[in-house]
Amino acid sequence: MVEKRRVVVTGMGIVSSLGLDTASFWLNMISGKCGIKPVVDIDVSECKTPYGGVVNTDQLTEALAAVAVRPFERTVDMATLATHQALLQAGLIVPGQEYENQDVAVVLGSAVGPTHAVYASHKAFHEKGRRGVRPTTVPRCMANVLSSQMSIRFKLTGSNYVMVSACASSTLAIGNAFRMVQDGYTEKALCGGTDAIFDPASFAAWNNLGVMSKNPDPEKACRPFAADRDGCVLGEGSGALLVESLESAEARGAKVLVELLGYGESSDSTHITTPSSEGQAKAIQMALDNAGLKPEDVGFINGHGTATRANDSCECKSVRQVFGGHADKVLMASNKSFFGHMLGASGVAEVIVTALGLAAGKVPPNRNLDNPDPECDLNFVGPEAMNISSPIAMKNSFGFGGNNAVLILKNG
Amino acid sequence: MNKEEIIEKLKEAMKGSSEVQVDWDSVSEESTIESLGFDSLSILDLIYDVQQLFDVEFEAEAMVGVSTVGSLVDFLQGKLQS
Repeated sequence: MVEKRRVVVTGMGIVSSLGLDTASFWLNMISGKCGIKPVVDIDVSECKTPYGGVVNTDQLTEALAAVAVRPFERTVDMATLATHQALLQAGLIVPGQEYENQDVAVVLGSAVGPTHAVYASHKAFHEKGRRGVRPTTVPRCMANVLSSQMSIRFKLTGSNYVMVSACASSTLAIGNAFRMVQDGYTEKALCGGTDAIFDPASFAAWNNLGVMSKNPDPEKACRPFAADRDGCVLGEGSGALLVESLESAEARGAKVLVELLGYGESSDSTHITTPSSEGQAKAIQMALDNAGLKPEDVGFINGHGTATRANDSCECKSVRQVFGGHADKVLMASNKSFFGHMLGASGVAEVIVTALGLAAGKVPPNRNLDNPDPECDLNFVGPEAMNISSPIAMKNSFGFGGNNAVLILKNG
Repeated sequence: MNKEEIIEKLKEAMKGSSEVQVDWDSVSEESTIESLGFDSLSILDLIYDVQQLFDVEFEAEAMVGVSTVGSLVDFLQGKLQS
């Protein structure tokens, strides 16, 4: 059996409502700023929740132009920027130089894929008939458009595919990239995920689902773990990590940003939207076992924390089930009150927050958690950023369909 | 529709799907379509836009041999007259 290799992150990139690079993203979070604003690109007059963590389209277009890329499809555009940042930080691309083929795998997650292109094609078909549908609808709407475009655009010649597991998608993608590197199937992998849910049809469907907050104040609407939480708020964006073996990073002289220690995944096998603490606890325990750690070794949990009634109490129960008495000590937070629920991209965005937090010895506050739900009886980060001393953190992601994915990270 | 009018409409279609920065005022009949920022994927968008703009329909394969703005204009004139 091949010895397991240590796996580290050497590049990170983010596109979110709180910033189009990791520095501004982190600065905005640590100072408690909120990216959730009224949605302006589409007609939301009939939506019950007319706000979200939307990426500013003008800023997105400007950022694409800065790296000489024309808009193609919103998820691909966002992924291109995040990937560019991650590869640049990892030292795998150099500004002003042509890209050259590199043996890097591409494993990206998305919950719903290129919904803007799907919406545009359906709209064109209904308005103009067959001749109205743009032929590039085919390459724009492929379920693997994200990974294939990143592979082509950045000349990454390892395997490329998209993993789809609802809101756990990018955590699942990172976890599987971690395994690929750990087991020697690839030396380096680009991983993460993207979702852009603010097309008229998708946003309408979510508004009709009954899981979104109806709070009139956008910045106070997403209230993870709070007694008065009344649902999630959607967000959009992309996150990318360049993961590689420690030997590879050391040989290249690349700076290690964070180490991935363990990964666990499981299925609830119970209900499409109602989570199960048994399934979640199984993934949490598996991640700890995979890392060779005990609950007491973990100092911070960056939770899934969607602010729906069902998720938050179930997640706290799952953590307590595995962590036992240490559940009263380990710090717990959710980042979704900052940038909304980025669906398939939420995991990677929150992994980036976790990595930056471990490096800074400080984690962002729990916005809007002024009155925790008694059913959420854990040790939460307060309304201000808090210092952390432990070098080890856990990231939970749970998706509709009963998909559970849990990562464990250690400060590099 | 005369040649100049077709060229002006074509430029509008091309601006929407070109992959590169182009000085559209300097585009002539001799300009190659490739030099205006079209690859095998974006050319499909251009063909779509041209069909919508000129209200003509043709298979992409019919454009084999069309490599310059001038030859595209000739191709379209033929389609508009038929």
